[in-house]
Amino acid sequence: MLNGIAVQKKLRDCKIVPTLRSGFRPASQYSTRLHDCTTKLKKMKIKRILIANRGEIAVRIIRTAHRMNIETVAVKTAVEPDAMFLSMADRFYDNTEDTSEIPVFLNIERLIGIALKTKSDAVHPGYGFLAENAYFAQKCVENRIIFIGPSPDAIYKMGNKTIARKIAMAASIPMAMGSEGNIGDEEEAVAIAEKIGYPVIIKAASGGGGRGMRIVRKSDEMEKLFLIASKEAEKAFNDPSVFIEKYIENPKHIEFQILGDKKGNIIHLGERECSIQRKHQKLLEEAPSAALDDTLRDTMGKLAVEIARAVKYHSAGTVEFLLDSEKNFYFMEMNTRIQVEHPVTEVITGIDLIEQQIRIANGEALKYRQEDIKLKGWAIECRINAEDVQSGFAPDPGKIEKLSLPSDPYIRIDTGIQAGSTIVPSYDSMIAKLIVRGKDRKEAIKNCKMALDKVWIKGTKTTLPFFRLLVRNQKFQDGSFTTAFIEDLDKYYFNSEYEEMLAAWLATKLFIEENLMDNSINIDFENGKEMSPWLLNKRINQF
Amino acid sequence: MSTGKPGIKKLYALSSENKRFCFPQPLKHSIRIGKRDYEVKLKADEKYGTYILWKNRKYPVEIVRSRQNKYEILFNDISYTFSVETPFSMQRKKVLDSGRGKVEKEILKAPMPGKIIDVLIREGSNVLRGESLVVLEAMKMQNEIQSPVNGRIVSVFVKPDSNVMKDDILIEIKVD
Repeated sequence: MLNGIAVQKKLRDCKIVPTLRSGFRPASQYSTRLHDCTTKLKKMKIKRILIANRGEIAVRIIRTAHRMNIETVAVKTAVEPDAMFLSMADRFYDNTEDTSEIPVFLNIERLIGIALKTKSDAVHPGYGFLAENAYFAQKCVENRIIFIGPSPDAIYKMGNKTIARKIAMAASIPMAMGSEGNIGDEEEAVAIAEKIGYPVIIKAASGGGGRGMRIVRKSDEMEKLFLIASKEAEKAFNDPSVFIEKYIENPKHIEFQILGDKKGNIIHLGERECSIQRKHQKLLEEAPSAALDDTLRDTMGKLAVEIARAVKYHSAGTVEFLLDSEKNFYFMEMNTRIQVEHPVTEVITGIDLIEQQIRIANGEALKYRQEDIKLKGWAIECRINAEDVQSGFAPDPGKIEKLSLPSDPYIRIDTGIQAGSTIVPSYDSMIAKLIVRGKDRKEAIKNCKMALDKVWIKGTKTTLPFFRLLVRNQKFQDGSFTTAFIEDLDKYYFNSEYEEMLAAWLATKLFIEENLMDNSINIDFENGKEMSPWLLNKRINQF
Repeated sequence: MSTGKPGIKKLYALSSENKRFCFPQPLKHSIRIGKRDYEVKLKADEKYGTYILWKNRKYPVEIVRSRQNKYEILFNDISYTFSVETPFSMQRKKVLDSGRGKVEKEILKAPMPGKIIDVLIREGSNVLRGESLVVLEAMKMQNEIQSPVNGRIVSVFVKPDSNVMKDDILIEIKVD
């Protein structure tokens, strides 16, 4: 039998480097709001979790695992060798010498190898990457590694949208009219679209997150858009198959959080509204939704549970619906993973979803029944991304030079970034999730407005100006907005006030006067060649 | 720019949105809102970097670019572009602008770094405003780059599968 030292040595041999836990500070908002999870530890089979992900979700998982006294192993990559989540994990596996073209977080064989080498008894896939890959989940099972998520079968069935449609249809869940299965070619696409009537939406059978998705309004656009959608689907999901659905104009995006255990208990934790999105990428989410009353919540929630039951779902999952202006709702898809926007549900229910995922994976029964779930207050999440809202949300990767995030009691921040971190172009552009709480929607918006002015990020442009506009928008405030909200904004994606422009101008003048002493000198470094502002600052300061 | 020359009592700043403000020389370091003047102070420290202290609040500020009399500044996470004019140069600019004809060439640049998935036109093609020219994939999404004008394609600088940086020139169009 190996003793502790021998294990340590063995781990070192396989390139695991233990890290200090000094970077880990339990956020007060977690420990006060969420249920105590230090009890019932005796039954825990899961002792060490490999985190097959990066960024803020890696940090998020590590936080909960540590509170449950479970060890975490992170993967160090050459792209982000100084990432924050590495310093928070108990250990990391050094994968910096991996020269494979596939990022390690998408490399099934390699991840399984790392899990085995590091003696991790479970893998948490986070979101994105392999989180909804049935083959990866299957490989984990085959190698006796616990996959913290649903069964490979449930992932496969819900991941394939045409199969998911059939399952939902069999369970009599309301759905938008659409093709029976996948579409073979553009001619078939035209024929089906004629039958159900334009506008229609082409969706990737294996898709999600807006990839492989196109809205078609007239038959002469079909050929081009069909090919683009199919190509995009093949690239993103390795599966070019697409299907067609009636496009619901200007709906609200409403999704239900599901929790199910391996004993067949399934409950829902209420809804989230994610209608503020651009090109199907969510920007702001809230829970609950202003569009639902208790009766509708109950009806939709029960159906969401039904869908989950149809695939014997366990772990955390999300059932997405579209809700039209007449309050008709249509099943869209089920996401078989933890969602980016899960914190808003945690805030209003007080339930730590990552903890529940781990407990369910560990074989424990849910300790909540549906009637135990009480939604309390209102939560809003803003996704602060490194994007330039003044250039149509173009990604603006780069180094985060200065970072100061607020820590008021009504604020929760989930981030994987610290001052000096770099937002790399190869991953998503997330800097931080700003989650704000209020006793009702009005107070949550008010708090959000204050919180937005307390976020300080220098180095890249961010989505902050967009949110500052959003919280002041009438349609947002009265809750009548739909998924068309951003498109309808035309090009004014940001909040800018005249007096701020004046201040900007004064700042320019002051800057020149202060740094050059003599404002008659023109700044014309390198003939106006583009230069990093930080470098420019340094140069100016040398005068 | 000769902002320091004696005799000039006022200057103009033109914003990129063509808003014009006039300000006296030397400059007052305050902004009047309603009946109160709010002082504007430029400061810097280790934690926040450069910032403006105004209305009892810190605002992040950074000079992004400056060229001759044009400045781009990031203030409270929004960039502004200004050009500074004297009364005389302002007059000259007006004359020059009125004499300038319409744009003849349109240069299309990559709006974001990414990879070219498809080029939908060839050199010599005639295109209409709004027609898709290039499919660019960036941060997981495919984007169609559309023609801003009616015209003829003069040159195509990219091929499918080529990687582009932000502001790389993609296509040159001769405007009809």
